[in-house]
Amino acid sequence: MEYLSLFVKSIFVDNMIFAYFLGMCSYLAVSKNVKTANGLGIAVIAVLLITLPVNYLLNKFLLTPGENCIFGPDVDLSFLSFIIFIAVIAAITQVVEMVVEKFLPSLYSSLGIYLPLIAVNCAILGGSLFMQQKEFANLGESAVYALGSGAGWYLAIVALAAIREKLSYANIPAGLKGTGITFITVGLMGVAFMAFMGLAI
Amino acid sequence: MGKMKETILNPIFKGNPITVLVLGICSSLAVTVELKGAFVMALSVIAVTGLSSLVCSLLRKTIPNRVRIIVQLVVVALMVILVDQFLKAFEATYAIDKQLSVYIGLIITNCIVMGRIEAFALGNKPLPSLFDGVANGAGYGMILIIVAFFRELLGSGTLFGFRIIPQALYDAGYVNNGLMILPPMARIILGCIIWAHRSIDKDLQEK
Amino acid sequence: MNTNSNVYTVIYTTVVCVLVAAVLAFVSQSLKSRQADNEKAETISQILTAAQFGEKEHWQEIGNAKTIEFFKENINGENTRIYSTSDLKALNYKIKDGIVKSEELPRYVFNNGIVVLPVYGAGLWGPVWGYIAIADDYKTVTGAYFDHASETPGLGGKIKDDPAFRAQFAGKKVIYDGNGPLSIIKGGAPAGMENAVDAITGATMTSKGLHEAIATWLNAYKDYIEDAREVGEAIVTIVNGIEKSGTNAQEE
Repeated sequence: MEYLSLFVKSIFVDNMIFAYFLGMCSYLAVSKNVKTANGLGIAVIAVLLITLPVNYLLNKFLLTPGENCIFGPDVDLSFLSFIIFIAVIAAITQVVEMVVEKFLPSLYSSLGIYLPLIAVNCAILGGSLFMQQKEFANLGESAVYALGSGAGWYLAIVALAAIREKLSYANIPAGLKGTGITFITVGLMGVAFMAFMGLAI
Repeated sequence: MGKMKETILNPIFKGNPITVLVLGICSSLAVTVELKGAFVMALSVIAVTGLSSLVCSLLRKTIPNRVRIIVQLVVVALMVILVDQFLKAFEATYAIDKQLSVYIGLIITNCIVMGRIEAFALGNKPLPSLFDGVANGAGYGMILIIVAFFRELLGSGTLFGFRIIPQALYDAGYVNNGLMILPPMARIILGCIIWAHRSIDKDLQEK
Repeated sequence: MNTNSNVYTVIYTTVVCVLVAAVLAFVSQSLKSRQADNEKAETISQILTAAQFGEKEHWQEIGNAKTIEFFKENINGENTRIYSTSDLKALNYKIKDGIVKSEELPRYVFNNGIVVLPVYGAGLWGPVWGYIAIADDYKTVTGAYFDHASETPGLGGKIKDDPAFRAQFAGKKVIYDGNGPLSIIKGGAPAGMENAVDAITGATMTSKGLHEAIATWLNAYKDYIEDAREVGEAIVTIVNGIEKSGTNAQEE
């Protein structure tokens, strides 16, 4: 039950895009049509699902001082956490890229240059940093959180791509075309997502 | 000298990283609820972009091409950790660092930093690289501060924590716009800034 | 020099890694004590604010050293360990599992009789925590201070930033009845209810989270508080008895 509520919460309430603004760069760049958005969304879920538990273990057994630390309880390496997290993410993204290139060449060609961009996607590093902040109790929780926030990101990018496909037929003021209207659209989608928080505005 | 001026002014207006290039928005909007946080975030980003551009430019002839990206990433991460450690260590900035929480760490993945190193620092001398980094950080910071200005003024009626909207107005029935402090409004304000910017500078309009 | 050879690449990356690690280790070691002081002083200033020794801004103004010194001068008792928020979080798990005894939980007893008890729980976005100060009758709340990791500024953030919300707690009573030891009630506490305060308008989830944090922790302190009340009442009876016998003696 705890896992289910964490899962639902990380998709809707703690949505990476709408609540925390994470991964906005590639979110805006790759949301022009649903097909590529779909591919990038799945890639983000996959990378999050691998990196977050790995970083969880590193954080628990290497970086945080305490009885679990393999260097002894007094060694505090938490100042290295940013660099370790980003190194793990960069390495794993590289591996995922190679696997996708080998086994799913069509997906690889449609994602083009955006796959390497996942390494600097804030949603991935953000996931690991939130994991560290939320101090999850076990590996399962961190994996569920990764799956949920990845799914939330996927949902957000596919929804935006669908809206943008329709928007290309709309008559928009010249200055607002492209980026401007996209931002406002994302803002309005965000307002809709606020409803999940049960907030009275 | 003219070139130097160009290096500094271009990223702030015509080539602004946020409104024109749409880079680095990831971590920018979450910290714009209040001016104080936006201000510290802007300074941190300026420090990180400036210093990492400088260091990468100094190293540019020695970096092996194959591990270029990872070396850059290490340099950027180093700068971000230094900024974070210093913010945590001083009494004046400790509270703000807590408020910014993960967003300081997310400067690492801010596309502006890596983007400027790739596009400028690796091909230029250290001093212009430093200026380019600082100017891009400043262009980014400027947008943060503009967004934060509107969000704090309309959302809380304060600026830097000081009350701006007089009590008399509240007594007359004025209420703060609660929507302003929620995440979606940051994007809508940014959309409007881009609109205004592109209406003035027609070259930037997308077809 | 060929910068693309394998040997060069390996040596280069190794040197970069070692250098970066050395710089970071040096900086982190030299700033560590200041960071720890900041964290400790922050917690202490929250405790002192709850105990009504001064406003939060006051402690920020006088700085870390003086805040810690003031705390040491005024605290009573041996057990003055400062629990960080992650310590509180660990205790929160133990409380929920029911494996911690009331007397093992942290409490800060000051020389003037005020007792400060921490509370910890989940708000809307992240953890919320705080300190509740109780007078020496172990019943009347004299003050409170709350903090949060990431509640929305202006809404849930008001548990920290809105002095009016905190001020409500002063004068309330901790009563273990059906309404919970000390409740935060959405839509306003009914008049005359001594153990309830009003929730923050527009921040239902944060208020609810804080309500649950207070309920969980004060229930965990129940044994300790009730024992202390009994001891207090016993002392009052004895004192009254002595006074009575004293007056009796005079009359004789």
